[in-house]
Amino acid sequence: MKDKITSNPGPGLQRRKRVEFVFRALMLTSSLVVSLSLILILVSIIWKSLPALKLSMITRTPGSGYYLGKEGGILNAIIGSLQLTLGATLIALLIALPAVIYLNTYLRSKSFLAEAIRFALDVLWGIPSIVYGAFGFLVMLFFHLRASLLAGMITVALVELPILSRVMDETIRLVPAELKETAFSLGANRWQTTTRVVLRQVFPGLVTAVLIALGRGLGDAASVLFTAGYTDRLTTSLLQPVATLPLAIFFQLNSPFPEVQQRAYASAAVLTLLILLISLITRSLSRKLSRHKIY
Amino acid sequence: MESRGRLSLKNLNVYYGKNHVLKNVNLEIPEKKITVIIGPSGCGKTTLLKCLNRLLDEGEEARVEGQIIVDGQDIYAPEIDVTLIRKKMGLLSQKPQVLPMSIYDNVAFGPRLFGLKHRPQLDQLVEKYLKLAGLWDEVKDRLHEPASRLSIGQQQRLCLARGLAVEPEIILGDEPTSALDPQSSRNVEQQLLRLKQDYTIVLVTHILRQARRLADYVAFLYLGELVEFGPASEIFSNPKDPRTMAYITGEIS
Amino acid sequence: MEKIRSSKIKKEKFQRLVGAAFSLFPLFLAANIFFILLLKAFPLLTFKSLPSLIFSSAWQPVKGQFGLWPFILGTFWVTITAFALAVPVSILTSIYIAEYAPDQLKKILVPVIDLLAGLPSVIYGMWGVLLIVPLVGKYLAPLFDTYSSGYSILAAGIVLAVMILPTIINVSVEVLNSVPMALKEAALSLGATRFEVVRYVVLKKALPGIVAACVLGLSRAFGETIAVLMVVGNVPEIPRSLFSPAYPLPALLANNYGEMMSIPGYESALNLAAFLLLLIVLSFNLLARWYLTKLNRRTG
Repeated sequence: MKDKITSNPGPGLQRRKRVEFVFRALMLTSSLVVSLSLILILVSIIWKSLPALKLSMITRTPGSGYYLGKEGGILNAIIGSLQLTLGATLIALLIALPAVIYLNTYLRSKSFLAEAIRFALDVLWGIPSIVYGAFGFLVMLFFHLRASLLAGMITVALVELPILSRVMDETIRLVPAELKETAFSLGANRWQTTTRVVLRQVFPGLVTAVLIALGRGLGDAASVLFTAGYTDRLTTSLLQPVATLPLAIFFQLNSPFPEVQQRAYASAAVLTLLILLISLITRSLSRKLSRHKIY
Repeated sequence: MESRGRLSLKNLNVYYGKNHVLKNVNLEIPEKKITVIIGPSGCGKTTLLKCLNRLLDEGEEARVEGQIIVDGQDIYAPEIDVTLIRKKMGLLSQKPQVLPMSIYDNVAFGPRLFGLKHRPQLDQLVEKYLKLAGLWDEVKDRLHEPASRLSIGQQQRLCLARGLAVEPEIILGDEPTSALDPQSSRNVEQQLLRLKQDYTIVLVTHILRQARRLADYVAFLYLGELVEFGPASEIFSNPKDPRTMAYITGEIS
Repeated sequence: MEKIRSSKIKKEKFQRLVGAAFSLFPLFLAANIFFILLLKAFPLLTFKSLPSLIFSSAWQPVKGQFGLWPFILGTFWVTITAFALAVPVSILTSIYIAEYAPDQLKKILVPVIDLLAGLPSVIYGMWGVLLIVPLVGKYLAPLFDTYSSGYSILAAGIVLAVMILPTIINVSVEVLNSVPMALKEAALSLGATRFEVVRYVVLKKALPGIVAACVLGLSRAFGETIAVLMVVGNVPEIPRSLFSPAYPLPALLANNYGEMMSIPGYESALNLAAFLLLLIVLSFNLLARWYLTKLNRRTG
């Protein structure tokens, strides 16, 4: 019996190697499919946008007859998206930061309230943005607001809030207890420990969280569909409607005129570029944060 | 079976990136004896052990130079199949690592990989090796329970049985008692002393007293260098190198 | 001295109160969304039974018929298609990343997946219109001897599959990485090949986590709006095959929510649709998250 196993593993071993080889090939193929989808998406956007990519695209607002293919650009949507997203992120940050500090300073991590708050944030994170759009619209009607920069900002802030809070929360929770104990033993109270030691320690992580939320807000279309409206002009007041890049792409793509469709592609290229930029910054930051991790 | 289980290391060098972790180690490990590798932590003991069954291949960054010869074959030669090398050696790790399956399946895992499917034969095998590891009486009525339910000392003996079931010639132990309570430790040590009749055993330990209890031969590693190797009695009573002397008297640790 | 201390304590009490108020906001918000949608859906339920709304396939708001069945089926089929396409690819990819890929390749694959996760849905939608819709209409449908405009469940499924890949992969890789190296070494040292280690040891340990990752991806797929809306055709009929168009719930909301005020019952019907969507997404999402935290606690 002994010799049966040890002396002649030949054919069995070859079969095992074949199985290994086949699955390895399948895994490599899958990884290629994933990478290829990204390349296809980026290449098709760049390729299609080339004919419409002119400087005037990003320096001018739509002129008269723009939607029939005449002159103009999408400056309104670029500026609008930035106004809306920056505003929304600021609102979300103003709520998330105190909430997260409180969560990690005064509540024990296993306490009922802390669990309930984290659960609520998970629930909020799971809600699709179209539902936020609907909710925002209902709230807007309740306060007799029109579709406007303000309404859009609030709705997008709600979309970003759980992302921002949970990512910040997870970062802060990773701070070793020893660090806090050191601060306590120097006479700092909980508030001082959190604000002067912990937050300083995790600052890059907080910036990462803000950038992730920013990227998410910038690209979200469903939540602003009913709440932000759309305009061809630059928005100068919180109560005016505002144009956004995702919606600019969406509307122009539905146009029957090929020139306008091409501009949708160009707008998409601009949006993608912005997102890429944010994600690049995020990556370099988080690498600084955890230099020894691969992920 | 007589000449099996001899290990020799020739000009072995290991690098992690720029770190030179093992420096030109030459070592003849005698068969059917317990050879204990001692040395302060970070001296390359575990690395040396992992070289022996090519587990270092699995990490990305390690580079191995030199030869390790088992029964006349260089295990780093390109035509050698790594699974067969590993099958020649059973490994006991610091913490017992039971596979996520039943006690029975843990022991049968290796033989099944190599094509043994016949149930009565497997039954025999499982019983034989559980007995050899001194665990049979404790588990014979619950062979199909998850192995994770065993106590940690029992788990380590299960790992021993599992390693023996692939019929190795060599047993490698990486501080195999460090996670165990004193009672279980002694139990594992007793099994090892019994097993050296049939197997070559290479143990890494940082417990000097354990080395004294078990070792036939002792190798002292310091900062990646093999400082001294010889019969245990000589090393412990009459070390030639001042560094060995310093280590066994507790001046460096 | 005493005074300084008491003012310091007062200040901390105040900070504590403000913090508590802010941290309760998520609870308040979640409850609000839930109840307001339910409240707004309620008027319709006073004169129509819930089953008759859910299981009827007649959608003619002008005539007061609000059957949601085609939309529910549309959501279901699009999501299932995406799920079926995404799961094998993402599991294989995550095993590759966690167990096989050399470091250099990992340094490429991980950012690729991050970028996929970050792309806005309108970009995916556009890609679908540019590439996937023609692919389905011109090449795949003739292959199966049917006609399709290309705007179909299959097109939406493919686009959606790519969108949920990063979610499933990221969580799965994390789960796979949590399997201890020493355990893998134990199996390797018994003479197992790498694939045998994956199959008998790693997957056995990681399977629950991977299932949870897939369910998380599923819940994302249910709620995805703009990308699906752009390629799915938006026809409120019961879909007959993968090549026919459909009209999922999120698309229904996106196309009609803003201008629903004039027809009686319409508003209520759409809010019911939103509420149903919320319920479906949340049940899957919470199931997955609850399971993942439970696993985390057990292993970590």
